[in-house]
Amino acid sequence: MIRIRHIAPLCLLMMMGVGFAPLQADQLVTDLSEHQIAIRSNFTGTQILLFGAVEANTPGERALDRDIIVVVTGPSHAVRVRRKEAVAGIWINHDSVTFPRVPGYYAIASTRPLEVTLTPEVLSAQKIGIENADIGTASASSIDGKQEILAPATEETFWKALVRNKRREGLFINDPGGVTFLGQTLFRATVDIPANVPVGLYTAKVYLVRGGEVIDAISSPLYIDKRGLERFLYRVAHADPLLYGLIAVFAAGFAGWLASAVMRRN
Amino acid sequence: MQIYLPIAEMPINVLSILVMGLTVGFLSGMFGIGGGFLMTPLLIFIGIPPAIAVGTQSIQVVASSVTGALAHFGRKSIDFKMGGVLLVGGIAGSLSGIVVFKALAKIGQIDLVISIIYVVFLSVIGGLMMVESVKAIRAARAGGASSGSRAGHHSWLHGLPFKMRFRRSKLYISIIPPIMVGYFVGMLSAIMGVGGGFIMIPAMIYLLRMPTNVVIGTSFFQIVFVTALTGILHSVENQAVDVVLGMLLVIGGVIGAQYGVRAAERLPAEQLRALLAALLLLIGLRLGYDLFTPPSDVFSISDVSPHS
Repeated sequence: MIRIRHIAPLCLLMMMGVGFAPLQADQLVTDLSEHQIAIRSNFTGTQILLFGAVEANTPGERALDRDIIVVVTGPSHAVRVRRKEAVAGIWINHDSVTFPRVPGYYAIASTRPLEVTLTPEVLSAQKIGIENADIGTASASSIDGKQEILAPATEETFWKALVRNKRREGLFINDPGGVTFLGQTLFRATVDIPANVPVGLYTAKVYLVRGGEVIDAISSPLYIDKRGLERFLYRVAHADPLLYGLIAVFAAGFAGWLASAVMRRN
Repeated sequence: MQIYLPIAEMPINVLSILVMGLTVGFLSGMFGIGGGFLMTPLLIFIGIPPAIAVGTQSIQVVASSVTGALAHFGRKSIDFKMGGVLLVGGIAGSLSGIVVFKALAKIGQIDLVISIIYVVFLSVIGGLMMVESVKAIRAARAGGASSGSRAGHHSWLHGLPFKMRFRRSKLYISIIPPIMVGYFVGMLSAIMGVGGGFIMIPAMIYLLRMPTNVVIGTSFFQIVFVTALTGILHSVENQAVDVVLGMLLVIGGVIGAQYGVRAAERLPAEQLRALLAALLLLIGLRLGYDLFTPPSDVFSISDVSPHS
């Protein structure tokens, strides 16, 4: 199912009606293979397929020099980065820096490496790339929990460590060359969703780049949520933890009794 | 076969959890231990977050100790009065343990503290057990009976006030030492996810001088209630109990424990005790090694969740 943007065709009609064609009016049409990912008991990660087409404003024009950048972003939360130091030979958590708004998931794929297609200024202005994401003001604490003044160099070190850890967990993905053109106008990209993915509302944004500039962009929502028993248990555990704890303990006690009853009969 | 854990938020291999549950359950039935101090490190080794390993493990200990307590109830080898006194201390200990746990989690040191406590206890208990069982094996080979010089032995404990008569244990002692033992064990239960039998049983034998035939049953009896409380508190305070993981551990654990109890009557207990001691030392060594080895990445990240 291809969902076309509502406004785009309208704009196109208006422009043609008025009679002046814009300089660069290539349009994007995109969609996701799934708009909902359900985390059930058998969930071990998945992949989503993002596909689309570049509609050239002048028929027959070749889709040369066009680049596609795909960014999938998860819901943001505060993340604390801790640095271990050896105290009396034992490695313990020492300083920490908290970043208030870090995407729980951030995947970026493109037809060519970003450095080739866009300048750092444009990337920053368009907020493309995890280093350009709006993460809020970081705060630092020492081992005893006291607030500290955060030197820019320290913040940089901790931020790099955060990105490195997220990459290792498969939650930050960088895939230059992950978007492939099929012929002149069609493109596709697969994005890995690991098993440890946080739940929430995701955004899949596709950028059309030409001549060092972003000329069109489209966002699609993607919901990742627990379903069935997983959802029920998670809900109860957080909404009514006392009931949850009582049921868990009672069930365990019952299992213990059942086992001894069964074994005694044998 | 993989299954997704709703609270730990990760997939896990069902078969490996069941096998772990069976093995630990077998040992727990055989030696009258909750098995928590074996299972919690194992869960941490396979990647379960330490807080969830501890919280969930308390659920498994509830199940295995209910089975154990019922078996001993049938044999009338529980001193309920002593169990009740231990329980009073245990409840207070569990409550303070949860407070400590939460405070440590907040400042990011809970993993470290759990590791250190495990290293200390596994080394000490494993070492003592090893010495004890080697001695017993030697004594058995030499043909000499072990000297059971309990009667008439006086210690500082006899000078304490609030004495109470425990008929089942044939004791007339102050309730302060059992309450303190219960408190200490309750605290360990909350921080380590253990029943604490490995502390309580030696304490009952050597400190309180209870007769060995009621020690294991009484310990099970007390552990049921303390770990039940710990499980509920971990659910309420930390949302750290994963019932799916817990039930998998319970299934493996209760079945294993039944066979363990039976096997204890037939197998050479002292040799097995030496083996268990070696296992404890090994796990302690591994945890200790991790404490002193430079981590591959000195930085670690954690979500700052609003509810903890």
